[in-house]
Amino acid sequence: MKRLINTILAILISVASFAQADLLQKANEHYTKEEFKQAIDAYNQILMTNMESSEVYFNLGNAYYKTKQYTLSILNYERAKQLAPDDEDISFNLQVVNQKVVDSIQELPGIFIVRWWDSLVNSQTTDTWAVLSIFSFVVFLTMLGFYFFAKTSEVKRITFWSGCFLILFTIFSWSFAAKQKSRLVNHTYAIVMQPTVTVKSSPSEKGTNLFVIHEGLKVKITDKLGDWVEIKLADGNKGWLLTESIERI
Amino acid sequence: MIRKLKILLILLLVGYASMADSIQFTMEGPEVVANGEQFRLGFTLNERGTDLQLPDLSNFDVLMGPSTSQSSSIQIINGKTTQSSSFSYIFILRAKKEGKFIIRPASIKVGGKTYESNSMSIEIVKGQPQQAAGQQSNQQQGNQQQQNEAPAGNISKDNLFVRVAVDKTNVSKGEQILATVKLYISQNVPLNGFDEVKLPSYEGFWTKDIDVPTQVNFTREVFNGKIYQVGVLKKTILFPQQIGTIRIDPFEITCLVRQRVRQQQGFFDDFFDNYQVVKAKVVSDPVAISVKDLPNQPANYTGAVGNFSLNGTIDKTSLKSNEAVTLKLNISGSGNLTLINPPKIELPQDFESYEPKTTDKTLASDNGLNGSVSFEYLFIPRFAGNFTIPAIQFVFFNPSTRKFETRSTEAYNLKVTKGTDDPNSSVVSSFSKEDVKMIGKDIRFIKQNKSEFKPKGSSFYGTFSFYAVFVISLVGFAVFYVVNRKKIIESSNVTLVRNKRANKVALKRLKEASGFLKKNQAEQFYEAVIKALWGYLSDKLSIPVAELNREKTSASLLAKGMDQEIVTELMKIIDDCEFARYAPAAFSGTMNEIYDGAAKVMGIFEKQIK
Repeated sequence: MKRLINTILAILISVASFAQADLLQKANEHYTKEEFKQAIDAYNQILMTNMESSEVYFNLGNAYYKTKQYTLSILNYERAKQLAPDDEDISFNLQVVNQKVVDSIQELPGIFIVRWWDSLVNSQTTDTWAVLSIFSFVVFLTMLGFYFFAKTSEVKRITFWSGCFLILFTIFSWSFAAKQKSRLVNHTYAIVMQPTVTVKSSPSEKGTNLFVIHEGLKVKITDKLGDWVEIKLADGNKGWLLTESIERI
Repeated sequence: MIRKLKILLILLLVGYASMADSIQFTMEGPEVVANGEQFRLGFTLNERGTDLQLPDLSNFDVLMGPSTSQSSSIQIINGKTTQSSSFSYIFILRAKKEGKFIIRPASIKVGGKTYESNSMSIEIVKGQPQQAAGQQSNQQQGNQQQQNEAPAGNISKDNLFVRVAVDKTNVSKGEQILATVKLYISQNVPLNGFDEVKLPSYEGFWTKDIDVPTQVNFTREVFNGKIYQVGVLKKTILFPQQIGTIRIDPFEITCLVRQRVRQQQGFFDDFFDNYQVVKAKVVSDPVAISVKDLPNQPANYTGAVGNFSLNGTIDKTSLKSNEAVTLKLNISGSGNLTLINPPKIELPQDFESYEPKTTDKTLASDNGLNGSVSFEYLFIPRFAGNFTIPAIQFVFFNPSTRKFETRSTEAYNLKVTKGTDDPNSSVVSSFSKEDVKMIGKDIRFIKQNKSEFKPKGSSFYGTFSFYAVFVISLVGFAVFYVVNRKKIIESSNVTLVRNKRANKVALKRLKEASGFLKKNQAEQFYEAVIKALWGYLSDKLSIPVAELNREKTSASLLAKGMDQEIVTELMKIIDDCEFARYAPAAFSGTMNEIYDGAAKVMGIFEKQIK
């Protein structure tokens, strides 16, 4: 029964993605011929069908870069990176385009473990972590079986410790998947889209002006109130700005 | 000897010829004179001559002449004595008519040979009014306020002025202009000298001065119908560097003019005139020059304007690696030579090249700035191979055709062979390995591979199937565990299992017998046991019941590897059963013993006969 549902789902998705693949190929041709405007239109058309892939975001980012729309380029690279965090090309292009960003933010050094932990969580997508957690759970169960039915104490010892490790790994990768998923759903990060934005101390026009940031900067959204969102910069500064001045990744 | 004489003769002849050539006979006179004015016409000869034949002078009145004079000089330089003498014949002439006349050459005889002078042209202009003094004094009153420094006398703008003369006023950017500063003095203004000279700054131009003699030579020239003594103060070649109208600042000079002071003439003062030197400051009119920009400049244009030719030479075309090659470009012609930037040479990437060395040889003259500029490019091929230096192009703007013109050299093919590994050149070894040069920086190209699309924001995590996989694998494990556990416990005693199975077969066969045993029906019981035994053996040994007998059975059982004891026991049970049936008195055993024995035997067979 389950297999049947899966097959039907797969067929539905593949039929839908035929149309997207055609569009993607067309867009890529436009890009290769340096018709960047048409390429941008075609890539956006794919995204309008509510389907996405890291390649589409990456190529769209490239097209925006070529037409000197660096902020949109950053936004799309970040979206691509969310879907494929370990892709080297995306990281490289993002680094190139980030040189066009006006604001230079000194990232808070933070505790080594925390930084390491975050980069570990961000190194894989939700699905990768989910699959890893399933895989390690299955291996854990196998190890458990070996443990129970092993005859020699040697095997028992090995399977016991590897089983312990595997169940921990399962739990962690599950939680990583959950964390990544929440970032994907809640759109925790955003890119500043307006050329210059004054960040306020409180969610109102009357708030004290704290600092000014410029387009292309990546900010973390920490709170929301009406039209206002609270953002946090990489250097730890916090403040409120209007939702319209940013675009969630 | 004869040969020596010949050489001597030739030398003598040469000397004589050169002496003969050194006779110079020239005619001198003013270029411009006024009608009715007296002027001198002089002939100079550096040898004594006879029989001076004058040209046709019918347009002039010869008032006086010839008055002859002679001068000679002896120079001793480093013990070498040179003697020179000159003889001059001077005529005073007066012009009769206005117009331009050419005086034909005169001739004179020196030592039997006739020499001819140069010819010259004289322009006779309308005579100056002789009563100019009166008129000028009238003019003077108007000018007096303007020129406070010339309080009296006949100095006016008409009589004394400077002019900055340019040969062109409408030029292209970079085109050369000849600017001449001329001082005009009327003939009747005695000039004593100059005081302050303020030269124009020529702002907006790159300038190159032409050498003029420091001693100002005055020549006669007609300007606006009047005769002036004209002195060239300065000549400059200008190269405009801006677009638009450029104004040349006025030229200022203060002239010292001698004037006769008119004063109440007393009886005793009558004899001498009194003179005083007055300062007259004259300012030239500003000159405006309009400069046009060059039309559509080619990409490789570097600012050269003029007319040039390009010549390129390379010192070698086949060489060894790490040897230096010099490529020399020589640009010669007329134009802004010193402003030319070295043309760009497209060298192969691995060549080591140095800044070109620029040398220029230019001469500023009335014809503009002429000469040549050369660029020496030095480069060193570091690797062997065949390389091509593409043709070097030099683009300049030719103002006479108003077009960009290109001169190019040929392309050079370099054949570089591998140089010998010089152990001394440690520098070379460092070039054997080099980093990949980053020429530009750009984003990486788009991804062309097929991509997997999925709905936005969707993920496998959190879906039903994700949890289902966990639950199913857990349940699967539990089932596996339970089943396996039981299996292990059971399989921990293998013999028990096998016995149990064998007994099961035996008991099944003896089912009927056990029923009779319970009912204690002895005869039927024994019959059933025998029947079960024979039936079992028939099945096991694949022998039909009708053919079974004791001997055959025991033989085939022994052939299957059964112990003798078991076979004997089986036979005993069969015997007992038969005894019990047909001779119950002779049988001492019980029914239970028979049952158990039969079951045991069948169990053993079941275990051992495969």
